[in-house]
Amino acid sequence: MNLHNIGIIIRREYLNKVKKKSFLITTLLVPILVAGLTIGIMVVMLNTKEKTKTIAVVDDSGIVMPYLENTETIKYVDCTGQVADSVKLHMPDLGYDGLLNIPGLDVEGKTIHPDLYSPKPLGMDMTQNISNRLDKAVEDYRIASYDIEGLDKIMKDVKSDVKLRAYTVSESGEEKVSEAGVYSIISMVLGIIIFMFVTMFGSMVMSAVIEEKQSRVVEVLVSSVKSTELMFGKIIGIALVAITQFLLWIILSGVIIGAASGIMKDKLLSQADPAELAQSLGVNPDQLDTVDLTQLAAGTDNDMAAALDMVRSIPIAKILIIFLVFFLFGYLLYASLFAAIGSAVENAEDTQQLQIPLTVPLMLAYIIALYAFKAPDSSIAFWASLFPFTSPIVMIARLPFGVPGWEIALSLVLLILTFILCAWASAKIYKVGILMFGKKSTWKDLWKWLKQK
Amino acid sequence: MGLIECKEVCKSFGEKVALDHVSIDIPEGKIFGLLGPNGAGKTTLIRIINRITIPNSGEVLFKGAPITQRDVEKIGYMPEERGLYRKMKVGDQAMYLAQLKGMASRDARTALKEWFIRFGIQDWWDKKVEELSKGMAQKLQFITTVVHKPSLLILDEPFSGFDPVNADLIRKEILRLRDEGATIVLSTHNMESVEELCDEIALINKARLVITGGVEDIRREYGNNNVELVYTDADGRHTEVLPREVDGNSTLESYIAKGVTINSYKELMPRMNDIFIKLVTGEDAK
Repeated sequence: MNLHNIGIIIRREYLNKVKKKSFLITTLLVPILVAGLTIGIMVVMLNTKEKTKTIAVVDDSGIVMPYLENTETIKYVDCTGQVADSVKLHMPDLGYDGLLNIPGLDVEGKTIHPDLYSPKPLGMDMTQNISNRLDKAVEDYRIASYDIEGLDKIMKDVKSDVKLRAYTVSESGEEKVSEAGVYSIISMVLGIIIFMFVTMFGSMVMSAVIEEKQSRVVEVLVSSVKSTELMFGKIIGIALVAITQFLLWIILSGVIIGAASGIMKDKLLSQADPAELAQSLGVNPDQLDTVDLTQLAAGTDNDMAAALDMVRSIPIAKILIIFLVFFLFGYLLYASLFAAIGSAVENAEDTQQLQIPLTVPLMLAYIIALYAFKAPDSSIAFWASLFPFTSPIVMIARLPFGVPGWEIALSLVLLILTFILCAWASAKIYKVGILMFGKKSTWKDLWKWLKQK
Repeated sequence: MGLIECKEVCKSFGEKVALDHVSIDIPEGKIFGLLGPNGAGKTTLIRIINRITIPNSGEVLFKGAPITQRDVEKIGYMPEERGLYRKMKVGDQAMYLAQLKGMASRDARTALKEWFIRFGIQDWWDKKVEELSKGMAQKLQFITTVVHKPSLLILDEPFSGFDPVNADLIRKEILRLRDEGATIVLSTHNMESVEELCDEIALINKARLVITGGVEDIRREYGNNNVELVYTDADGRHTEVLPREVDGNSTLESYIAKGVTINSYKELMPRMNDIFIKLVTGEDAK
């Protein structure tokens, strides 16, 4: 292969794509969209908490009401004594979002049989919250029923506030703060990005090949350079476009989010609910539920620090490097196959059938990657992260949870070997395909071209 | 020894035989016509010379040595199906193709500017190819084919798509390039231009070489060895076809002795068109 020629081809392919309006638009639009979405979520979070739901409570058991403390999201109104059914019928008129009806105590079973009515669904969080409080009421009632002397004091002593911090211990004994929530988000984002990039730029290679064939410029080109030079020049040129776009996205998103959060910072810190703040940082809010609300405020700084610790504990540089390597070879593998398919057709509409063997593993990898964060070490995630056609996406999604070095190495070796094999096959198909006109090609034809001397 | 020698070249695609032991010799500095009906194997042969396609057997020699990828830089090829990047600017496009032929960027720019002036299209440099008319795109295509001063120029139907004025411009450029030393392979169905331009031809039919040689020789060979005499006497103008004798003077003298005026006396040669049809179909054209 003539490197000088490949250089010229790469340069044209790169400049041609980068100068396109569509490149400029997606490069600018995506970070704005991402930043907008992030900021939008923050704003929504800030505003939703002001919407407090009012729940009417008819407590005939007499044990629950003291446990129903008003929070920022729920306000309880004691309607004990009123007829539950009539309240139920007039909830919207009375300004209630729900009715919690607690009939008389079931003395035998030492329990209650409450019902919750609402004109609109109240949401999982809220019902869970109410349910927790009811449990607490019944538990306390049961404990009290044992008539233990000095119970109040005992209970005060017993009440504990243990904060569990999870660490993952690496083989070297180094401790890291771990938090499944943060990792899940990073895993998902990386999986989506790599899927998007491989699909987007793989099909960009395909349409570039089709364009050359359709405009018939390809015959002039291959009279100057070898078809393999043309194919790889194209693939590498578009890879550089992808890397350029990726870097621009990171920089632009950083700038926009940085600027926006700078503006919003004061507002956020003064108003935000710690639980939501923590959630926005990826901390599971359930962890905070066990903490008393009054203590929560004091603990906020600690929790935030912990969350930030977790973010910091993720080996960003390592993930980024592995991400780039897997992206590169995943892209190369798929791009060479997309190039072979592009060479076999004369217009974009004819690609659909030929593409199926490529889009199916990609979609599969995407789906597995999205579930990888639930079970990063499950056998399906494990095998999918070794299988070369799914590994770039699945391995990256597993990465934040920690993957043994040998698995990464094995997966990478398999990926590179498969790439070399596919690139060789694609080059052969491409060579014949680009000069085939007037006939709709099938996989059978591609196979024939592959075997052609 | 020709610039290009094809020796026993065979190529088949699956079951279909595209070239069957074809040997041709393209002499240096001449215009060589590559003729044959559609599907005869001309394009395959051209692609083999260009090293786009590799033959199953046989070889192609360039200046006596097996042709290499480096030699391809000295070839300029204009395929029958013209093709340019539609979305690219005319200048960028021409620069790109010239650089792929090994020209340095500065040389390419200078040479291209010269050609653009010669063809009167210097204003097009920044236009997009898709804005050009078909004839304009053809001109650009011709320039990109010849800008790197190829020693071998392969032109497949070079006149199609041109109006008579531009076709004439291209014809003159082809002759000028020949005079400057380039060897030109012309693949065309236009037999008039073959008679006018080509020094030698090769005719391919059904994957086989049917005939190759000098245009004059072939026409003479397929002629009836007749001469045409036009003279005027008292009854008016007459045209007679006579068998050619070794000594044409005696024939003329006998007519002159009759007291007629000789208007013309010339060798009768068949049209290339008729020879083509005869060789391809096996029947006489008329």
